[in-house]
Amino acid sequence: MAEEQKQGQEAPVAAPRAEGGAPGTAPSGGHGGGHSGPRREGGREGGPRREGGPGGGPGGPRRGKRQYFRKKKVCKFCVEKMDLIDYKRADILSQFVQERGKILPRRMTGVCARHQRWLGVAIKRARNIALLPFAGSAAGSTAPKAVEAHKS
Amino acid sequence: MEERLYDLIFIARPATPEDEIKKVVTSIEHACTEKGGKIEKAEHWGTRKLAYKVAKHREGMYYYHQIRTTHGELITELERRLRVQDSVIKYMTIRLDEDLKRQKKLTEKREKRAARRPRRPAATPAAPAAPAPEQQAAAS
Repeated sequence: MAEEQKQGQEAPVAAPRAEGGAPGTAPSGGHGGGHSGPRREGGREGGPRREGGPGGGPGGPRRGKRQYFRKKKVCKFCVEKMDLIDYKRADILSQFVQERGKILPRRMTGVCARHQRWLGVAIKRARNIALLPFAGSAAGSTAPKAVEAHKS
Repeated sequence: MEERLYDLIFIARPATPEDEIKKVVTSIEHACTEKGGKIEKAEHWGTRKLAYKVAKHREGMYYYHQIRTTHGELITELERRLRVQDSVIKYMTIRLDEDLKRQKKLTEKREKRAARRPRRPAATPAAPAAPAPEQQAAAS
């Protein structure tokens, strides 16, 4: 962090971005500001892919989110030809769920529309049978108070 | 009524003694034989950590049954019995046959499509009648 301070007014390059984003550097570069940095770290597969984006994508209007032309990735279920998404397989389902238990949107995971619908159904069933959490971390160890009040 | 397939999962308290579980399972089996249902699978997934606290427990013993029946009222009866049991803290019944039917249909469609175009990765959906004889003539 000391080096960032030293760089100061100069446009910080992409490398230290992941360290939480310096708040003072608003209009520089192609990155939409530091605040979307840590949020985006939640999308696991979005990580390495993001670097090529603003350089290679269409020079459209720059928004706060940098998910503009993203996810040429194919749907994992279509590739594996999985016709039934089993709600009992929490290991598969947890790949499509955030740390806090929320379902990841399609644009992050690259799932096709049909499988995203089925995935939602399966995740909700798994939540009902306590294989996946409704909210809070999947480990359930450091569950915040809200979870306890919700489920006791 | 046509035959239906159900998944029944119930979670028992973590340190429940063996005979309590036996009682629950026996009552499920009796209900099935009374009302005409067949238990296809019965599994015990062991003690697992729960994703959230249920009845103030952090772990539970998971039991899984798959039941085939033509009588829908059997499920109501099973759920009633499970609700009464003290050791069961959570249960869920899921009807599976529609999902399995759809899965079968999709698999069959895919295999048919793959068979029609022998050596190509079937990326584009082929029109039903017209290219099929041509493809077969060209392939053979």
